[in-house]
Amino acid sequence: MRGRVLYRLLRPLLLGWLLLSVVFLLSRLAGFGSTVDLTPETDILSSRQFERQQAQQALQKRLGLNLPLFYLSVVPHPSYGPWLLAVRWHGRHNQYHQWLRQLAAGSLGSSYRDGQPVTSIISEALPNTLRLTLPAAASSVGLTLWLGLRLARRRWWRTWVLSLCVALDAAPLFLVATALLLLLANPDAFPLFPAYGLPESAGTESLWESGTRHLYYYALPIGSLLLVTVPGLVLQLVAALEQEAGSQYVVTARAKGLSDRQVLRGHVLRNAALPFITLLTDLLPALLAGAVVVEVIFALPGMGRLLAEAAAARDYPVLLGGVALVAAARLISYWLADALYAWADPRLRRQTTLPTHA
Amino acid sequence: MLGLWFRTALLVLLLGSCKPATPPAAQVRIRWPRDPESLHPHMLANAMAVQAINLTYQSLLAVDASRQQLVPLLADSLPAVRRNGSASFFSYRIRPQATWDDGQPILAADVAFSLRAMRCPDLPNERMQAQYGFIQDIKISAADPRRFTLVCAPYAPDYRMLSGDFAILPEHLLDSAHTLRTLPLTGIDSVAAARPAVAAVIQRLAAAGLERSPGRYGSGPYQLKTWQTGQQLTLQRKHPWWGDPLQATEPQLTARPEQIRFQIIPDQTAALLALRRQEVDVYAGIPPADFARLRQSAADTARLGLYTPDSYEMVTAGFNTRRPVLRQSLTRQAISCLFDVEGILNGALHQQGYASVGMISPHQPVFYNDSLPADTFNPTAAITYLQQAGWRRQPDGTWQQLGTDGKPLPLTFAISYRAGNAAYEFIALQVRTAAARLGIAVQLRPAESALLTQQLQAGEFDVYLRSVVGNPFAHNFIPLLHSASTGTAGGNYTGFGSPASDRLLERLAAAEDTLSKRKLLRQFQRVLQRERPLRVLYFMRNPIAVSKRFTNLGLSSLSPGYEVAGFVEKPQP
Repeated sequence: MRGRVLYRLLRPLLLGWLLLSVVFLLSRLAGFGSTVDLTPETDILSSRQFERQQAQQALQKRLGLNLPLFYLSVVPHPSYGPWLLAVRWHGRHNQYHQWLRQLAAGSLGSSYRDGQPVTSIISEALPNTLRLTLPAAASSVGLTLWLGLRLARRRWWRTWVLSLCVALDAAPLFLVATALLLLLANPDAFPLFPAYGLPESAGTESLWESGTRHLYYYALPIGSLLLVTVPGLVLQLVAALEQEAGSQYVVTARAKGLSDRQVLRGHVLRNAALPFITLLTDLLPALLAGAVVVEVIFALPGMGRLLAEAAAARDYPVLLGGVALVAAARLISYWLADALYAWADPRLRRQTTLPTHA
Repeated sequence: MLGLWFRTALLVLLLGSCKPATPPAAQVRIRWPRDPESLHPHMLANAMAVQAINLTYQSLLAVDASRQQLVPLLADSLPAVRRNGSASFFSYRIRPQATWDDGQPILAADVAFSLRAMRCPDLPNERMQAQYGFIQDIKISAADPRRFTLVCAPYAPDYRMLSGDFAILPEHLLDSAHTLRTLPLTGIDSVAAARPAVAAVIQRLAAAGLERSPGRYGSGPYQLKTWQTGQQLTLQRKHPWWGDPLQATEPQLTARPEQIRFQIIPDQTAALLALRRQEVDVYAGIPPADFARLRQSAADTARLGLYTPDSYEMVTAGFNTRRPVLRQSLTRQAISCLFDVEGILNGALHQQGYASVGMISPHQPVFYNDSLPADTFNPTAAITYLQQAGWRRQPDGTWQQLGTDGKPLPLTFAISYRAGNAAYEFIALQVRTAAARLGIAVQLRPAESALLTQQLQAGEFDVYLRSVVGNPFAHNFIPLLHSASTGTAGGNYTGFGSPASDRLLERLAAAEDTLSKRKLLRQFQRVLQRERPLRVLYFMRNPIAVSKRFTNLGLSSLSPGYEVAGFVEKPQP
């Protein structure tokens, strides 16, 4: 039993380390990995070549990028040409070792751009993202269940709603977000909501005031996330409910005299929940990774924008920090999915708790 | 059902009732496309950072953008220059009125400290370290603590501006024990490692967090009030500020707005909506299509002043002269004839640009070579050039010539450019269409920005599209076209350069008086048009919209195109 617990604890750590190592090595091996560039996108007349070279070298030295990448490197053999490879050993004086030591000490390093610790950068961006993604996720679950259960009862508007869901499910997020912006924040249409940004804290204000102000600013970003997420979830849920509705236990439940509502909520929903749970737990890593498109369009300084900008600027420490966080969320979502499966289907619980009887 | 309607109506009412508060008076709100990332005056992370640093820190000299000339800022006059064969000397005196916020005078010792601080190891100052390597020593006058002379490398014209273009930091706040004073200006790197006291100062400098706290260590008129990364940055006017009494006589010390608020809005659609809804007052670098739409809207033109100052940014097409296909200037001439600049300016830029024969803007009539024929879209001329270059048309319509190795060489090339730039895509597609009509296959190769730079430096391209930013003070084209600037870290991607052209560029970089500069620049434009290592397609304008609440905008062709410190708010009716 102890071995099993230890295995369960160690396995995610091992997986996390493997994943981060692969990202670390790949990002730096990707051709332009070893150069943090000082040259802007445009050429500015006056910078001299030797100065640029010198500055580049000094920068790489300060960031430790002049060291070899890994413990060993494989190069073409000096005397036998490219047909024979020679392995060169670099010892512990390499980028990977230093990064690993830092990681073991609990530090994710500091940003190449402004020298801030990665943890503080992420802890600044994460709340902004969570304020956007948590309400969006909660309302998409609520809306999906509400709409799914209503649609399962075969209303006259069912076909129309389902067609609309299919259309929205196919629409890309940037299109939906821009359309909402141009419709509901446009002085030429309905300027109901602000075009961008976050609410300013106005000092002393009641919870109600602060709540409405947040709602005012977050309505469009959350709305666009909902419009893109909910249709897909509804389609899945309706399909699952429909499949279950033909089962014999439903007939039995009806024969017992249960109402439509009772059958649907007490019996069908629980059985239809399994694929829905898979989709739900997939939402968790997305919650932390943020929604780049929405964050860019509505100028919200969240995780998605942070990671996209870090990737564009080759700010590896921030990028790795973000990847670590999303990887952790992914592992937690697997555990959560396991737990929810067990709750939804007792047969699965028996399988996981009594594996030796199998 | 009634309940649902009621709830919806309540929600709409609720949302309609909470509009944002009107902006406080004397605040200018400016749109920034991205975060400045770091406000360290030695790092100059991007254009946004430079704009904020110029408002919070001060250097010895400044640029008067509208008159396009150097003016003294912390210095009381432009430097006196002396030179001999082995060195040049720039003598300055700091204004006697200039003080730090705590009332301490700004002295030559602060300049010396700033020069040493930008050479300390383990600080984010690599760019400054390299750029200011030419300053070898500083001699402070014994009689006047505000007077000093910078001892520099043998004279070059751009030293005049550079020698006064770095932010001055307060020695008494960052190195009160005067530890750095004892060090020579050159070789701080090696000394720092050996002396723990110096290492302690460096650590203090790093801990001061200049990345995020401008204002406290700057003598400029503004200080940082709030900065929410990726969202907004607000600068607040200092009261009192040392420059206040001088503003009437020295326009470069003007600082009128009480608050300057930079709103970071990455998306252009959202930025345009924010401008139209009066949520921002200034939006520079508006995409040409959006600008054209603004111009047509009566409601917007009533509220917004729309301006299109020139800029020194030009879009160029460069040829890899080392490629066998492009090694002859006649072939490059032929391809140059396939760029329909007039069509590009109409189609992709809504006329927010103008054509030029070379790297000098036609709006600089003194230096522009107006006797050169304008480059026009001319496929017939392209065919003539190709035939002169020895290309022969094949029965299938393509072109071939015999390569240097004796094998047939087909005429095809690829165009590399930064992915996602609409104007570059338009240009590349236009050239591909025009070339296809002549039987030349053109491939489009869009690439991510850093990857593109790497490809260009490695010479892995045929033709590139890229913008170059010039300035009115220096005509130094050595980084772009000198044969010494080729190679992995150089800016001469085309591989162009002959002893004669190198000599011309060197003489041009060293020229000072207008007459000889004019002669050399005209010659340079002629050589460029004849040899065609690159073709300048057009110079860009900088479309700017500013709320009509403000006057005295200080519009100019230097980035960012306006002088926010001079903005005056009209009295509201």
